[in-house]
Amino acid sequence: MALLEGHKVSKSFGGVQALSQVDFVVERGTIVGLIGPNGAGKTTLFNAVAGAFKPTSGKVIFDGADVTGLPANAICRRGMARTFQVTRPFAAMTCLENVMVAAINRHPEKPRPFIEAFAHEKLDFVGLAEMEGTEARHLNVIQKKRLEMARALATEPKLLMLDEVLGGLNTQEISQAVEFIRSLRDRLGLTVLWIEHVMGAIMKAAERVIVLDQGQVLMAGNPAEVVADQRVIQAYLGD
Amino acid sequence: MTGKKIVWVAGLIVAGMCILPLSLGIYPQHVLIVSLFYVMMASSWNLLAGFTGQVSFGHAAMAGIGAYTSGILAVKAGVDPWIGVCAGTALAALLGLALGALCLKMGGIYLSLTTLAFSQILHIVIVNEYDVTRGTMGLQVPGLVAEYSKITYYYIMLAAAVLMLTILYRMIHSNLGMNFRAVQNDEVAAKSVGAKVLQVRVLAFTVASAMAGFAGGLYGHYLLLITPEIPSLDLQFKVLAMTVIGGMGSFFGPIIGAFALNILEEYIRVYGEYHVLVFGLVALVVARFAPNGLIGLWRKFRPMKTHLAVK
Repeated sequence: MALLEGHKVSKSFGGVQALSQVDFVVERGTIVGLIGPNGAGKTTLFNAVAGAFKPTSGKVIFDGADVTGLPANAICRRGMARTFQVTRPFAAMTCLENVMVAAINRHPEKPRPFIEAFAHEKLDFVGLAEMEGTEARHLNVIQKKRLEMARALATEPKLLMLDEVLGGLNTQEISQAVEFIRSLRDRLGLTVLWIEHVMGAIMKAAERVIVLDQGQVLMAGNPAEVVADQRVIQAYLGD
Repeated sequence: MTGKKIVWVAGLIVAGMCILPLSLGIYPQHVLIVSLFYVMMASSWNLLAGFTGQVSFGHAAMAGIGAYTSGILAVKAGVDPWIGVCAGTALAALLGLALGALCLKMGGIYLSLTTLAFSQILHIVIVNEYDVTRGTMGLQVPGLVAEYSKITYYYIMLAAAVLMLTILYRMIHSNLGMNFRAVQNDEVAAKSVGAKVLQVRVLAFTVASAMAGFAGGLYGHYLLLITPEIPSLDLQFKVLAMTVIGGMGSFFGPIIGAFALNILEEYIRVYGEYHVLVFGLVALVVARFAPNGLIGLWRKFRPMKTHLAVK
């Protein structure tokens, strides 16, 4: 059974139909890319799936249960974690505290030393260990993205949803990041749903790619099929 | 500061506070008792505004709920003031729960305005329900102890403040406190990592209101005359000024702010209405030069000192 399924997920804001009847499947243990031109509805789909807001209609099935319209915190507890396109760190808290917030909500019964060690390990995992005492507002954008990833990992998710984590990286950093995201799957057994504009990275890392355009699924398939598809090229380049 | 060290420091301060009034006259004792009331008010308001970012203007109103509940029960039904204070605390908690739930989806200025409206409505009701509250004349209530003595009240207020501060300290340093700060920093992000944001916000409202009700109840039975000045905006803004000047979002800030401003008020009282002007100026200077309050100022200069010591 797939880890995450969307059935005819729709969302409208007033008169604007941001998502219409989106069907998609994310299989366990895969890295799935979610691409599409600006305004296609990628982040809206994330928000509707992760509980930031309710879909107007349709169903979201996660890990065998209907989670449609559940609040974000309840969905998180079921094993779905996310990062934000525009980062949202707890600005006035240290990096360690940022991750600890996630840890205490995953392990409320555990004592503080365990939580601190657990959070430290996650920071170390994303390469921010030496920044643990720094307040998050002092980080640069790339560090903030990493912090969000550590925070998401501290919720011990089954599914990690990444929203444009490669923005602002150079070529070498991108290939490191791709390796890192692959290792999440290979070492931690995570399933990854990943919004990205850096097409080369998605094509390298993802087994499947879902293409959104104007709030609808344009197509879904393996990377080679997607780049060769005439509709996708048109959506990106215009007629 | 580590846990053990803080217990020692707190123990010493409390011991000092126990001895302090013995050498003082009646009037300074009165000033300290009032200061302790404000310590409780500012510290509990800080839990709400400084830790979860809910800037409520209904905190003084909750103190009024505590004071009037206990006072009315004592006067009309002959209820023992101690039981009355408990009833006042419970009613304030209940109203805090309701008000918190009402303000759940509100943030910033909307929450402030809603709580402001609550505060004004309560004030109007108290002033106008003369038969029950004696309006602006004030309600004469019995004391907490049979024989009135300042020093006894001082120890009661001190014990209450220490109890409340202990609860607040433990709360701030627990998982709950961490969730409070996360909610204040970013609600959406807090939710995304599993924090029960709605529960956290309402809980803060309920606990803070109960504490204000408790402080107000005790204060009313100390004054022996409960007037609408307790649930007034004057008192609310004084609590706000104390918290902000002391240092919002820190544990010690409101305590320092409450003592500093209340004692300062005694010195500038001679200028009559102009003492409010001095308050405003102090708030202005602090906001401009020490946005994190007196405690922030201390923290700013402390690392420099240790740095020099190392050299």
